[in-house]
Amino acid sequence: MIEVRRARIDLEAVVDSVRRDDAGAIVLFLGTVRSDERVKALDYEVYRPMAIKSLTALGERAKDKFGLTDLSIVHRLGRVPVGGDSVAIACAAVHRAEAFAACAWVMDEVKRIVPIWKTEIADRPDRIRRRR
Amino acid sequence: MQIQVRLFATYREIVGSRGFTWSSRDGLSLRELVDGVVAKYPRLAGHRDTMLLAVNHDLAASDRILQDGDEVALLPPVSGGAG
Repeated sequence: MIEVRRARIDLEAVVDSVRRDDAGAIVLFLGTVRSDERVKALDYEVYRPMAIKSLTALGERAKDKFGLTDLSIVHRLGRVPVGGDSVAIACAAVHRAEAFAACAWVMDEVKRIVPIWKTEIADRPDRIRRRR
Repeated sequence: MQIQVRLFATYREIVGSRGFTWSSRDGLSLRELVDGVVAKYPRLAGHRDTMLLAVNHDLAASDRILQDGDEVALLPPVSGGAG
């Protein structure tokens, strides 16, 4: 499952999308919006066709690199409030070590190469700023 | 020929638009296109060193020769995810 969506991420659906009988471990990583200096939300802007292409290629690389049995990446688009999930990555593997390592690697790559930008939405309009 | 130019995040705010159509002679390189766009919107000049370029949804080198109908995206450094 590779998806960019406005709606809330259905975590159970993400986990179920990688369940397979030959997987002994599923690691689910969630990136969540943390509270910071009166920030009330993050707004995610996505270059969707390139992001989907990039996430799909990234998923295939992760499967090869870590020998995953399956992987899903779902990223939010638009406004996500403090405490909300902005990204979910589920990695399934025969053993847990590969699944943990793959999840960490995939998240780093998402931040490095996928065309997604976030803007902080503050409790006052004059405080809006970009977050890296 | 005509090139569709897409802008995101900081660049969209600087230009005040999500994109535009750029008309040019045939054989234009990506670098020449960006030179033209930066000349038209000088506030982009300070971002030139960190600007990523994509053609038809793939990252591209600046010596790439553009074709009629190509979609070029000027991408600020990305910042997806959280945490």
